[in-house]
Amino acid sequence: MASTADYKDRQFLAVIGDEDSVTGLLLAGIGHVTDPPDSQKNFLVVDNKTETSAIEAAFESFTEQRKDIGIVLINQHIAEKIRHRIDTYTAAFPTVLEIPSKEHPYDPEKDSVLRRVRRLFGE
Amino acid sequence: MEGLFFNVNNGYTEGIVRGYRNGLLTSANYSNLTQCETIDDLKLQLGPAYGDFLGSLAPNPSTSALAAKTTDKLVSEFRYVRANATGSLGKFMDYVTYGYMIDNVALLITGTLHERDTRELLERCHPLGWFETMPVLCVATNIEELYNSVLIETPLAPYFKGSLSHQDLDELNIEIVRNTLYKNYLEDFYQFVNSHPEMAGTPTAEVMSEILEFEADRRAINITLNSLGTELNKGDRKKLYPSFGKLYPEGTLMLSRADDFEGSRTTRASLMPQGLGGGPSGPGNMAGGSGGHDSRSLEDMFYEKEMQISKNAFTRQFTFAIVYAWVKLREQEIRNITWIAECIAQNQKERIGNYISVF
Amino acid sequence: MSGAGDREAVFPTRQSLGLMKSKLKGAETGHSLLKRKSEALTKRFREITRRIDEAKRKMGRVMQVAAFSLAEVSYAVGGDIGYQIQESARQARFRLRTKQENVSGVLLPAFESYQTEGNNDFGLTGLGKGGQQVQRCRETYARAVETLVELASLQTAFVILDEVIKVVNRRDINSELDELDREEFYRLKKVANKKQRDTAAADAELKKKMQAEDKNSRSGGGAAADILAENEDDDVIF
Repeated sequence: MASTADYKDRQFLAVIGDEDSVTGLLLAGIGHVTDPPDSQKNFLVVDNKTETSAIEAAFESFTEQRKDIGIVLINQHIAEKIRHRIDTYTAAFPTVLEIPSKEHPYDPEKDSVLRRVRRLFGE
Repeated sequence: MEGLFFNVNNGYTEGIVRGYRNGLLTSANYSNLTQCETIDDLKLQLGPAYGDFLGSLAPNPSTSALAAKTTDKLVSEFRYVRANATGSLGKFMDYVTYGYMIDNVALLITGTLHERDTRELLERCHPLGWFETMPVLCVATNIEELYNSVLIETPLAPYFKGSLSHQDLDELNIEIVRNTLYKNYLEDFYQFVNSHPEMAGTPTAEVMSEILEFEADRRAINITLNSLGTELNKGDRKKLYPSFGKLYPEGTLMLSRADDFEGSRTTRASLMPQGLGGGPSGPGNMAGGSGGHDSRSLEDMFYEKEMQISKNAFTRQFTFAIVYAWVKLREQEIRNITWIAECIAQNQKERIGNYISVF
Repeated sequence: MSGAGDREAVFPTRQSLGLMKSKLKGAETGHSLLKRKSEALTKRFREITRRIDEAKRKMGRVMQVAAFSLAEVSYAVGGDIGYQIQESARQARFRLRTKQENVSGVLLPAFESYQTEGNNDFGLTGLGKGGQQVQRCRETYARAVETLVELASLQTAFVILDEVIKVVNRRDINSELDELDREEFYRLKKVANKKQRDTAAADAELKKKMQAEDKNSRSGGGAAADILAENEDDDVIF
């Protein structure tokens, strides 16, 4: 189960989203760039030119490699592109949260966690 | 007297620009736009004014795509007029583009500072601020190289000289760099229209002075308000105020001493003749609510005032200022369309009326 | 389920009957305790899932408001500030802290958001134009992120509880317990049954032996092997 070491250093949020979502969330102050030389950003802007592999790589980096991230926010329409990864992601930390974007309102039917909730209660 | 030979050189371009001005959306057009249910409806309504430019948009385009296409129309018209402009009108139009150029250079400085591939930034640059040598700036790998290329390759060199060193670009917040450049630009432009032999003493100088003075005042007030409570101290803030305009010098001196919103408000109240003195009780009131019935923000009022001045510019004859005024009117139109599109796309119809209709 | 290997050796005495009875009682109490724990957790779990549902809906609204405040920024600035913002981000102002909550012995972590003082990467954004809208948008988004953090806490609790309940409430544990219950009864009954069968078998054997003795005079050791097998069987059972 979740031992203290699992989450006590997790003080940042990360985001994978379209430009507007990322801009807004950065304005809120979640943006963080780690110290050089190994500068790492905790956000990824996805546009229609972004490769799915780049999204997967960012997702992996935020959820597995980095130990300082507590919540990963991802636009639902981007989550759709890597749905298999999100469906199979079951760790408690970091939490992966699907959020709406300006052009794609939130759809509870697609949310991995909510689908799990529904399955559990057989709804 | 100045009208005697104006049409020899500039009659055609003036005619074109006045034609463009007649093509601007009217309040009847806007009221149709606000009735739209989808972006596609909106696109259809914009057909007569923007037809060719919106044709290539995908069904139900994003608001940013729509904004980009409407800007394309302005850019292509501006380029057409510029291509037909000769002599001092050509020079005047170049001056108009310098403002956009400053934004583009600021973008490239940011990119270079963070060691980004600046070539990718070119498509983010404002097309009106595009200059031929811009790709050359992208070759720069560090800020000193960029600084030197800017000095050599761009018309902005005078705005850097004496105000900003290459170390400054590295150390100062990019907003301070941008506003320093803009201050120098406004002063230069003001000087240009008032001293150029073909413009000094003509309606061009008269109308442009009014417009630029307003712009200078607006920036002084905005900078004051927006820097309250930030790391920008009063001394540095003062350096960003343009040294002309209706507020200069007493008003800016008072602004430079303001510690809070009320302080700057008193200054405005005592000095500004444009009816902007009082302003709403809080800055940036666009979100409504706190402002009661008057949901306009100070920034909204500035835009309204700008539109009023721009509209009045067309009542004058033999003046280059109509080109500047037309560009500003069109920019407001693009902002209006984008705003209406956002309200439709995000289903926030109750705020859709927050645009500024000029005609 | 319970293989013959796990089977407890029971000696058929009154004492061991009592022992078995108390064992059964213990198992029943343990079961009901686990059941209560699982019920408490499940209750909490249902509550959390309900709140997740609500919170996700709330998130939809909050994010919409936030997105719209960004539209106001674009209007006031008259352009796109995205790139500038992305490049200006340095130090996170908005951070997380985790605390724990104890639900029936399970530690559920919850996120708490806080804003660090002093570092504002975007204080001067929109200095010449639109700065007020930028600051307003910043606040709106900060509130939206707070909602997201609340939701993330619920979701983490959901994931952890889901796991815990699976362990406590696992179907095979339930059935294991039921199986054990049945087995105890079965064995106790067997003890009684065997006694009856034993006497019956002993009688039958006695008769068989007598018959066999008659037959033995005619056909050698075949029957003797049979008798041996019977004896062996008895040994295995007791």
